[in-house]
Amino acid sequence: MLKPKSDVLQGTLALLILKTLARGEMHGYGITLHIQRVSSDVLRVEEGSLYPALHRMEQDGWISAEWGMSENNRRARYYRLTATGRKQLAEEEKNWARLTEAVASVLQFAR
Amino acid sequence: MSLLSRFKGLLRINRLERELDDELRSHIEMRTQDNLASGMSPDEARYDARRRFGNSTLMKEDTRAMDIIGWIETIGQNLRYAARMLRRSPGFTFVAVLTLALGIGANVAIFTVVHAVLLQPLPFPHPEQLVRVYDDIRSSNTHDVGMSVPELWDLRDHSGVFQDISVLFPADANLTGGDHPERIEFLGTSPNYFTLLGARPQLGRVFTAADAQPGFTLGVVISDAFWHRTFGADPQVLGRKIRVDNDIYGIVGVMPPGFRHPGRTLGGDVDMWAAAGYSAAPFPTPVIRAARFLPGAMGRLKPGLTLAQAQAQLDSFVAQLARQFPDEYPAAAGWSLRLVPTQEDIVGNLRTELFVLFAAVAFVLLIACVNLANLLLARSASRRREIAIRLAVGAGRSRLVAQLLTESLLLATISGAAALFTVIWLKSSLLRFAPAGLPRLNEVTLNPAVLLFAFCISILTGVFFGLAPALQTAHAGQIIALREGSQSSGASKHQLKFSRFLVASEIALSLVLLIGAGLLLRSFWHLLEVRPGFEPHHLVTTKIWLAVPNDPLEDPYRLPEKRAAFHQEILRRVSALPGVEQAALGNAASLPMDARHFQLPFAIENRALDSESTPVAEIASVAPAYFSVLKTPLISGRFFTDSDDTKGQQVALIDETLARRYWPGSEAVGQRLRLGIRRNQASASQSPWLTIVGVVANIKSDGFDAASAPHIYRPLYQVPTYDGVVYLRTTSDPGSLGEAVRAEVQGVDPTIPVFGIRTMDLVLATYLAERRFALNLIAVFATVALLLASIGIYGVMAYTFSRRTNEIGIRIAMGAQRTDILKIAFAEGAFLVGSGVLAGLLGSLALTRFLQSMLFDVKPSDPATFGAIAALLAAVTLFACFIPARRATRVDPLIALRHE
Repeated sequence: MLKPKSDVLQGTLALLILKTLARGEMHGYGITLHIQRVSSDVLRVEEGSLYPALHRMEQDGWISAEWGMSENNRRARYYRLTATGRKQLAEEEKNWARLTEAVASVLQFAR
Repeated sequence: MSLLSRFKGLLRINRLERELDDELRSHIEMRTQDNLASGMSPDEARYDARRRFGNSTLMKEDTRAMDIIGWIETIGQNLRYAARMLRRSPGFTFVAVLTLALGIGANVAIFTVVHAVLLQPLPFPHPEQLVRVYDDIRSSNTHDVGMSVPELWDLRDHSGVFQDISVLFPADANLTGGDHPERIEFLGTSPNYFTLLGARPQLGRVFTAADAQPGFTLGVVISDAFWHRTFGADPQVLGRKIRVDNDIYGIVGVMPPGFRHPGRTLGGDVDMWAAAGYSAAPFPTPVIRAARFLPGAMGRLKPGLTLAQAQAQLDSFVAQLARQFPDEYPAAAGWSLRLVPTQEDIVGNLRTELFVLFAAVAFVLLIACVNLANLLLARSASRRREIAIRLAVGAGRSRLVAQLLTESLLLATISGAAALFTVIWLKSSLLRFAPAGLPRLNEVTLNPAVLLFAFCISILTGVFFGLAPALQTAHAGQIIALREGSQSSGASKHQLKFSRFLVASEIALSLVLLIGAGLLLRSFWHLLEVRPGFEPHHLVTTKIWLAVPNDPLEDPYRLPEKRAAFHQEILRRVSALPGVEQAALGNAASLPMDARHFQLPFAIENRALDSESTPVAEIASVAPAYFSVLKTPLISGRFFTDSDDTKGQQVALIDETLARRYWPGSEAVGQRLRLGIRRNQASASQSPWLTIVGVVANIKSDGFDAASAPHIYRPLYQVPTYDGVVYLRTTSDPGSLGEAVRAEVQGVDPTIPVFGIRTMDLVLATYLAERRFALNLIAVFATVALLLASIGIYGVMAYTFSRRTNEIGIRIAMGAQRTDILKIAFAEGAFLVGSGVLAGLLGSLALTRFLQSMLFDVKPSDPATFGAIAALLAAVTLFACFIPARRATRVDPLIALRHE
């Protein structure tokens, strides 16, 4: 099953996860599905980088995790934003806006 | 870290792992579910869900690295990575392991011996309490003059220093009654000898206080080796009667295989121990204080007494005895007692030799480390890309250092293991190289201490050669990562400086080793130039011994005339043997280069005794032909003749050393001297005055490197001895002459053993081989060091010039001559070599004085050796840096400019 691959850039993954969790708590699989759907399949989160990222963020205190039951009555680990996480999200969103703006202006100038 | 918290850590890993597994499983299940829903087959659905994780273990490991506990796994990972890196460059790995294994192996081998000989306590309870007691005469600077029985009793009963003290009376004895007479090593002791040591027999019993009697006890204890050799390990051996020196003894005990007498013997391990009180026949009676016939004693200090305290107590005891017996202990003589720990005593001066060897191998390992560090630095240049990438993807600097260090530690551990196995494998062949005089070699084993040493030295080695390059590399990598690809400069220059420092220190270390080897070599040359005072070629010697039974009446050779007749008959017979040019006889003391010779005091007629130090000389009895067989020239007077017998005038010969010392510038012939010293002129045991009839050249009887001892010779037929040495000057290769001598001697008396058949050439060769042992090893080590240092400087210079190809190209293009380029190279090389040599010379000046006792006729700071060796090293290393420089001058400037 070949699909066009477009890995989420290192560094933006945290932003995407934080934004996704801002909607409410969610398990790992849910996060990948959400990002994939919302970006219309352009952005795909590799499972191989998702979990290390989640654990790093958990250690940094941006998110917390708890075991719970999924919609299909399956045991899953649910992640939720902490207060620090919210602040971090705001910060990262600001950075991202600045970056895209900068890149856009360079592109326009070059053209 | 406490055990509990470690355990908790492990539990935590387990818990984390379980949670992670659960989480991933639920993720896979959800994905599978969705895949099924989108119409995949169950297999496909599951496969897809798993595939998305890629290498799921790898991911788990990445996840876990977030945890502090992950460092345990990190180590394993580092190790695996290191192993992969080493496998990838087998050439480098092979060279590195070989170099290190040699260095570590040499260290482990020497340590094994040092441990067994010097460090390991003697295998007895409280070994630190065991001491050897020596009598010294300070005035004549004579050590170990022997002890008298009353002195022994005083020490035992009144000194307050010893728990126990036993006589040590090494002797050899004739064992008869077997197929042919055998010579055995015999140790006379006191009855408390074994209890003093705390040694138990494997069979029967040892001596007890109940065995005490004035003469010899009739029960003897034998060694395990003797039990096996002579009695085939017969368990019924107890009570067996054996005939030793014509006396009948019964065996009461057998010592276990590991038991060795902790001290010097005459010729080998003790075969038989016999206890005696030393105050009745066969020992001189009556017991007098001045008769110092006991060769020595061993004591066990009272518990809690240090050596210094014991010595201080003994000194005041000696002073008290000297006041009590002014006749026996004249103040001028300076009699004193000296305690030496038994552990030190049995090693003697081999101690220095072993430590010097240990230092030498340590130097070799150090040089190997430095070389390897350099190799790693050079290699790090080629690994720059790999390291830059690893840094770029986020590897921390410390992680990188740990990774590189793991590689060196792995290398060192592999080398250490290889070295250890080699040492175990070659143990017995290696031990054969050890000097014959080395005691306690039977105790050389691979024990935990040796294993620990091997482990520690491997780890230390790994850190030593790996740390600096790892730090350097990580540092360099960081800078390069920042500069992204700009290949030149800063870091490598820094690195190069460091490698130059390494090479300079390598040169310095090698110089120290080379100078040590040079000094030993010069000593050895001096040794070869010594004129021994006799002609060793075609000279065969064998020893004989007339048994001395405990009861003088049973002695067939009691009368001196009988012994003289025996000696003359032997001489007549062996002289007639085919191949014998001339034969002579002497007593055991006349045999040059044999076991230790004793210097005994004597008195000169008409000279006051106390006015100067007591004269001493080695005293030997020889037959008339002795000097002509040995080819020792006569300086003045005459040799002995056959008429110098028991009925003739009491005469003596002296050697040049003695003549020069006591009759400088005047004629010694005609003067009289007397053996032994008595203050009491009227004493009945006074020995007669001897008239000096001639002066002969010096014979180096104690070895070439010993100071020439003065000698007094007595005519053998005037004072016929029980011990004897047959000297044969042969016309050709001695071959099987020894057996013929045995047949002739036993033709005269079948109970006389003939032993120690040797050619003097062989004796000298063995003697020199012992002296050469340390020299050989250090010479090998020094050569290896020189080679490593040359390779080191070659590598660095080659690297420098390959980096400067560009610059050299420009210079040549601008019109520089080859000689100009060589001049630059010379300047750089000379600076490196010069600073290395300078440091090495200073180091040698500081260190070579530890060689002092191993040197002969050479000062530890001998300028000629220092100069010559430094010049040699400088020449070799400069040559090594000229090769890459010359190659650099041959570059085509066009190619050089395009380089990089």
